[in-house]
Amino acid sequence: MAVLQLRSALTPEERQQRQKLILRDTLALLSLFAIAVLLFFITLFLFHSFSVHRHELAQRWLARGESALHANQPLAAIDALRSALAYAPDNENLEIELAEALAAAGRTQEAIAYFKNLLESRPGNGMINLQLARLAAKQGDESAAIDYYQAALDGTWQGDGYIRRREVRLELAHYLTDRNRLDQARNQLLIAAGNAPDDVNIHLQVAGMLESSQDLVNALHLYQKALQHRPARLAALEGASRTTYALHLYLQARQYLERTLNHPDFEKRPADVQQQFRDMLSDADRILLLYPAPELSVRARAERILSNRRVAQERLATCMSSKSPIPAELQSLAAKWQQLPATLRLLQLEQNPELEQQIMQLVYQTEQIASRQCGAPSGTDALLLKIAEAPEAVEQQ
Amino acid sequence: MSVQPLQETESHTTQKTPYRPLTQHELEKIAPSRDERLFLVLSIFIGVLSGLLVVSFRIAIEWIKILTLGSAPHAGQFRLLFVPALAGLFVAALVLLVFPAARGSGVNQTKAALYIYNGYISFKTVIGKFITSALAIGCGHSLGPEDPSLQIGAGVASMVARRLNMSKQRLRMFAPIGAAAGLAAAFNAPISAILFVIEEVIGQWTAAVLGSIVLSAISSVVVARWFWGSEPIFRIPAATLRDPRELIAYAILGVVGGFAALIFSKALCVLRPRLRALPRWTYYCQPGVAGLLVGLIGFVGFPQVMGPGYEVIDQAMHGQFAWKLLLALAVLKILATTLSFTSGTPGGMFAPTLFIGAMLGAAVGSFEKLFFPHLTGTVGAYALVGMGVLFAGFLRAPLTSVFMVLEVSGNYSIILPVILANMIAYLMSRGLQPVPVFEVLTHQDGLELPSMEEAREESELHLEDALRPINVPVVKGHQKIADAIQIVSAAQTSAFFVSLWDGSWYAMTADELTSASATLTTDTPIEKVLAPERTPILFPDMPLDSALQYFPRWPVLPILNRANKGALEGVVTQADVLHRYQEQ
Repeated sequence: MAVLQLRSALTPEERQQRQKLILRDTLALLSLFAIAVLLFFITLFLFHSFSVHRHELAQRWLARGESALHANQPLAAIDALRSALAYAPDNENLEIELAEALAAAGRTQEAIAYFKNLLESRPGNGMINLQLARLAAKQGDESAAIDYYQAALDGTWQGDGYIRRREVRLELAHYLTDRNRLDQARNQLLIAAGNAPDDVNIHLQVAGMLESSQDLVNALHLYQKALQHRPARLAALEGASRTTYALHLYLQARQYLERTLNHPDFEKRPADVQQQFRDMLSDADRILLLYPAPELSVRARAERILSNRRVAQERLATCMSSKSPIPAELQSLAAKWQQLPATLRLLQLEQNPELEQQIMQLVYQTEQIASRQCGAPSGTDALLLKIAEAPEAVEQQ
Repeated sequence: MSVQPLQETESHTTQKTPYRPLTQHELEKIAPSRDERLFLVLSIFIGVLSGLLVVSFRIAIEWIKILTLGSAPHAGQFRLLFVPALAGLFVAALVLLVFPAARGSGVNQTKAALYIYNGYISFKTVIGKFITSALAIGCGHSLGPEDPSLQIGAGVASMVARRLNMSKQRLRMFAPIGAAAGLAAAFNAPISAILFVIEEVIGQWTAAVLGSIVLSAISSVVVARWFWGSEPIFRIPAATLRDPRELIAYAILGVVGGFAALIFSKALCVLRPRLRALPRWTYYCQPGVAGLLVGLIGFVGFPQVMGPGYEVIDQAMHGQFAWKLLLALAVLKILATTLSFTSGTPGGMFAPTLFIGAMLGAAVGSFEKLFFPHLTGTVGAYALVGMGVLFAGFLRAPLTSVFMVLEVSGNYSIILPVILANMIAYLMSRGLQPVPVFEVLTHQDGLELPSMEEAREESELHLEDALRPINVPVVKGHQKIADAIQIVSAAQTSAFFVSLWDGSWYAMTADELTSASATLTTDTPIEKVLAPERTPILFPDMPLDSALQYFPRWPVLPILNRANKGALEGVVTQADVLHRYQEQ
């Protein structure tokens, strides 16, 4: 109705003008649309070329940053990685690498602040927690370091989480060992060993760390597992030799030491290391010759006991002569010796196993007390002292 | 059949009469609702075009930066010294010789277009603003792209409106629509842009223009997000307030921000007139010298202060700087921006303001984290609040500052610290520098634009301010003329009210009563002699000027009670209203 009224109110000229106006407006709107479309494509072209260039720049600076980081030039790496981050701001790995570079450059506070900030947006991120653990360790904040290590173990890892967690656990164990928290270190290592696949390298790595944390039994176990793989690795033989020797398992030690010395790669080892193993083999041989093993013939056993008795008595006499007044411990020991027959024949011993045992106990006591009172022994005394520490282990298989 | 001759006539006339532009009167006659309909459609077009131009503008800045300063400018590079200096010289020549209207940030120029030039912004100005600002910012001058984007958007709107031959009144309204579109695209934050334009450009919530501003802002942001993505311009870290005691830390940030805003404003307001007072030939050199000094700051170790510095804000938010460096960057940015802006280099103040705020916020946050590690707020949260603080303190747009932080962060949980810190900074800035910086700059340019801050704070007078007790007689409608004569005679007034049965009122003069008594019997009810209209319904809380239009008709007006229209609160006369205005 309103339209009809309007139409009727307009003169023919006005109606003509109105039509022209509608036409003009339509054309104007169409031209605006065409301009918008044209401008859109121009902008799209500019944006596309710009985005591609940004991506290239990000890659270029990332490569420079990483190479600088590997070349131990953290300051250059920081600049490069910051530049890369400006062109790829959402790259999480880039951020972590930048924080690593900050830490490597000694800008610990900056690195910590950066990592903490990253952690707030990604609280469960294993890598960030690990980096914070390292920085806390660097700063000597032991409890924070352990907490962050634990958070890293519990955190999320991209892709190779299983492997990364093991590496973190080993790093934590290493840190705990360094801090002399050996029990905690052993626990972590045993978990790592329990979760580890049957891989020689991992066995050797964990075994070495167990050795450092003074868990020789488990270390030996892992060396032995590593030796089940053929060909036997020199590192495994060396580890097994060391641990068996340290555990006074001299019979086993001799076997491993012989295999070590016969290993083709052994000659490539440094001379001092070679000499160390040769000495160990020599000692093991001699210990086995001194030890009155139950498997020996009665006579041979008696001969070894008599010989050891003589060595021990000489050691006691020498020790007592160097002391004035003579300590009560030595006097008591001498009294024990005096309770035994002054002269003993082989036959007496062969017929009296209890006496054999009594003499050997006294030999071991003599070496241990003399060692405490008069310093570390040498020669046969030193070997007897080693036997004294774990006589039952000497020939244990 | 009857229509046929008319069509032929029209066709004939079309061939003969050349087109002439229609006058506004003719337009209103032949298409009365045309402007209104086109207004909304054009708002979308303006939004789209502004969005595309702003995206191109940002890309141009980035390209120029990479081509001139390199992809990773760092301290010690000699080009940091000469690129901003040469760009300053070139831009100065362009501004002085080719694009004189491109000088300045763009906010005041848009306001001037709105209030002085009827919304007119030339195509040349838009092109000039685009080129000169992109060159200056891209080459390292410490300025931002938001204010130029605002002016570019307003220019686009002005051009579009002129092309469609819109009325002068509409043409004026298009400038803020385009301004909102330009700012929204630059910020990727439509609400903040709308609020800023309302708060700082038009100064009032006008329903007629609000819908179009929203449409254009949203259109431009849709376009911008199509290219840049929906993420805000900064990557915002997690920001929450876990312990209310931490508000003290944010309050400290508000105080620091208030002082920083004051220093920044003072530096601009003091240096700018001195530089403008120098001989005109120095105008050609000033941006070059400013560029050299800004470049020097970059050269000696702080290239972060060059350009808008978005990536630096992002880095600060993510804890990449120690607090001492952050503080140094804030101070140097104030210096660099003061140099760049006061030299007449085209470019905006928004980005530098955000930069300074973010650095200060992150510095305060890092400092507090270092010395009070139990505080739970992140450095990013402090930087975010710091941006709002400077925005409130320096640009003096308190509402926009709050919404900007909320919109940029997309996080409502930070609202308490933002409001607290922003208000402290705003109040401090107002107390220490009563005139806002944009207004000072306007005065320095010899313009008198309306102050939005003053407009916001103007206390509007209401009818209750001119209200006087009921001192005129009241007669019931059913009472006789004789009764009315008696009452009026006793009161000796020239007018009285007639209260009618339906709650309406009539203000009758003594003359009307006299003429009624002369023509009718005195026992006629008074309601029978009244003219058909009734006094307007006015309440005490209505604006004082709302009564003025009724005085030519009514000698005195009843002010009614909102709960009971039959009850009077008081009366006002024209003299009362005018007297109240004179008192103010």
